[in-house]
Amino acid sequence: MLDKHADYIAAYGSKKDDYEYTLSEYLRMSGIYWGLTVMDLMGHLPRMNRNEIIDFIKACQHECGGISASIGHDPHLLYTLSAVQILCLYDSLESIDVDKVVAYIVGLQQEDGSFAGDKWGEIDTRFSFCAVATLALLGKMDKIDVDKAVEFVLSCMNFDGGFGCRPGSESHAGQIYCCTGFLSLTGQLHQVNADLLGWWLCERQLSSGGLNGRPEKLPDVCYSWWVLASLKIIGRIDWIDKAKLRRFILACQDDEMGGFADRPGDVVDPFHTLFGIAGLSLLGDDQIKPVNPVLCMPEDVLQRNGVQPDILS
Amino acid sequence: MAESEEEVNVLVQRVVKDITNAFKRNPNIDEIGVIQCPEARCNRSPIVLVENKLGVESWCVKFLLPYVHNKLLLYRQRKYWLDREALGDITCTLLLLNPDFTTAWNVRKELLQCGVLHPEKDLYLSKLALTRFPKSPETWIHRRWVLQQIQSRKQEQGDAAQVDGERSHQLSDHLARTLHQEMKVCSNAAGRYPSNYNAWSHRIWVLQQMAKGNVKVFHDELSSMRLWVSMHVSDHSGFHLRELITELSKTPAANTITTCPSQCQSVATPSTSPHHHSCARSNGQLSRGDNGTDEEERQLSSTTVLQLFHQEMELCSDLIQSYPGHETLWSHRRHVFYLWHHWKREHQHLSSSDNSSSVNGNRQKVESHGGDGGLPKVNGESCADQVESQKERSPTVEPMDVDVLSLHDSKRLKRGVPLLSITLSSEHSFLDEIMDRCSNPEQRRFALAYEKWLDTVIGQRP
Ligand SMILES: [Zn+2]
Repeated sequence: MLDKHADYIAAYGSKKDDYEYTLSEYLRMSGIYWGLTVMDLMGHLPRMNRNEIIDFIKACQHECGGISASIGHDPHLLYTLSAVQILCLYDSLESIDVDKVVAYIVGLQQEDGSFAGDKWGEIDTRFSFCAVATLALLGKMDKIDVDKAVEFVLSCMNFDGGFGCRPGSESHAGQIYCCTGFLSLTGQLHQVNADLLGWWLCERQLSSGGLNGRPEKLPDVCYSWWVLASLKIIGRIDWIDKAKLRRFILACQDDEMGGFADRPGDVVDPFHTLFGIAGLSLLGDDQIKPVNPVLCMPEDVLQRNGVQPDILS
Repeated sequence: MAESEEEVNVLVQRVVKDITNAFKRNPNIDEIGVIQCPEARCNRSPIVLVENKLGVESWCVKFLLPYVHNKLLLYRQRKYWLDREALGDITCTLLLLNPDFTTAWNVRKELLQCGVLHPEKDLYLSKLALTRFPKSPETWIHRRWVLQQIQSRKQEQGDAAQVDGERSHQLSDHLARTLHQEMKVCSNAAGRYPSNYNAWSHRIWVLQQMAKGNVKVFHDELSSMRLWVSMHVSDHSGFHLRELITELSKTPAANTITTCPSQCQSVATPSTSPHHHSCARSNGQLSRGDNGTDEEERQLSSTTVLQLFHQEMELCSDLIQSYPGHETLWSHRRHVFYLWHHWKREHQHLSSSDNSSSVNGNRQKVESHGGDGGLPKVNGESCADQVESQKERSPTVEPMDVDVLSLHDSKRLKRGVPLLSITLSSEHSFLDEIMDRCSNPEQRRFALAYEKWLDTVIGQRP
């Protein structure tokens, strides 16, 4: 089955028509990261066109240091992180101007410690994660005001132990993943109320075995990853029914064409394919490389780069 | 369908123009959509305007989007020239078809900054895009940026004309209108997609940015949302907003300073300005008495807070009983009870020591086992009390609430509002009632989880 998934990803880039391509070009850099990471986890990375991708990333770095989703698009923290993740998979960080990337990120930190996603100033805890994840991969965490950054993320903690996008916002599994990942990378996991948050996260599991991102939402492979990875980070992964979740993820595969969908029976895409495979890896599937729950990258890649995010036991 | 590059070129330019003209012909277009239509019908524009709805025939979207998309990217790389008017038209078409194309919004931000586009126009465009893509994160982000631009321009004008009373009144009118408009856009998007995180967090942003601590606005929100949440009992985001407003309303800062109506100018000024305070005195609907002391205001406002909590718990109980088995409602109950529990502790603390430092206590850190430390023992009831309260859910005041309630007793009675007390034991009797009467397995599961939550997080079963 893994070979079918690899075939699906390998073919994905080539078969797209103009319209489909245009619709999703605004996140192309992340799309490449999803595809390459899942290929690497399955041991199929060499099938992808390394040189073409590195040239593409070079062409996406802007004067300001930030990297955009595609050529001609504007730079943003989201795609800066994806690009750096891809370059780590390929051991070729030197192909971009790393110092400029660092300067770009430093420039986006606000007085209250939060991070804007780009020069237009939108604030979100997702961007705090992007900033520290990129800097951790570059080994430059000391360039920002980490204490302030931590202070802001903690101000987004809610009564249920979860986190939202800004202070006062509703807890959301995707934001929780970003915030626990952020606290892991900054060595502040002791600030999480792991029992309370673990409780909320476990309540995301539904009778189908799948996990949702908030109360009364449908289960979804990508939310299953965010919840599962958060549980792993705070040392509470044994609190859910792992066998049931595994069955749910496997039911989201396309048996014939390869790839994973958000839910059983839906159309597959690379995004859910990565999070399906990464989820299976966290659940202990030994045909897949071990995945790091914080950065969603193969553990061996992080070891090579000397990055070892904290995990609560 | 058009074949050659040249034909596509001509056709697309015509369609972009048709869209622009449709907006000129009818400035009240309030919804956009794609009309399923696989083939072009000769000599007819694929842009259809029916009443206030603008439709694009599906056959043309497939080549219209890539064409305008690539034109804009070429312009961005300085490989193709577009004048300002063409940029406005192209980005408009583009964003109605693909509103998450960040760079297209950024082009409009630049046009706005140099005065080519009017901010109101972008509020309108993003509102339209949200009718078709109610979640689109980039659309909400652009909207916030535009609102901030408007706000800072108005603030500059306000600073320049500080003595001019009429001018400042206009400013506040504008703010009230903006608030109203944003609430409408959010409600619309919330209705189109359940638990719409981006819509609701935008609403929260607007309240935090524009209604800083204004209790009148908060209360209007609570009452206008009441019916909506009752009809959307699975929408966790809607209930989260009620929780947040409850939380914001209970801070002393919110209650003592800003109780003026939303059209009052003070909404825009920092809550610490003196004008703010006098305004609260003259227009205040919630706090009365021109020469009332701070202490008196605080007491009055805590009566309001008390009422707010009771109304919220009552609403929650009603909904849980009418719509069994909804996780959202049980989650709401946890949050409201949690807030109440902490407000009560803070308030007792405040009354006894007059310590205003607890202004910052509204977002205090969560304690997993409810270790109360040196605070008054709120839940130290005897078993006898519990039995009694289980027997009769009568509007009596339990011993533990006397400290809080005695301050306001007279006012509460004057208003004729009988309040049930909210306590751990009243929660347990509510649960007993559910378990006795309800056979819905989900409802029972949520009730048990709530009980466990009360025991572990709030602590000390009475
Ligand atoms: Zn998903």
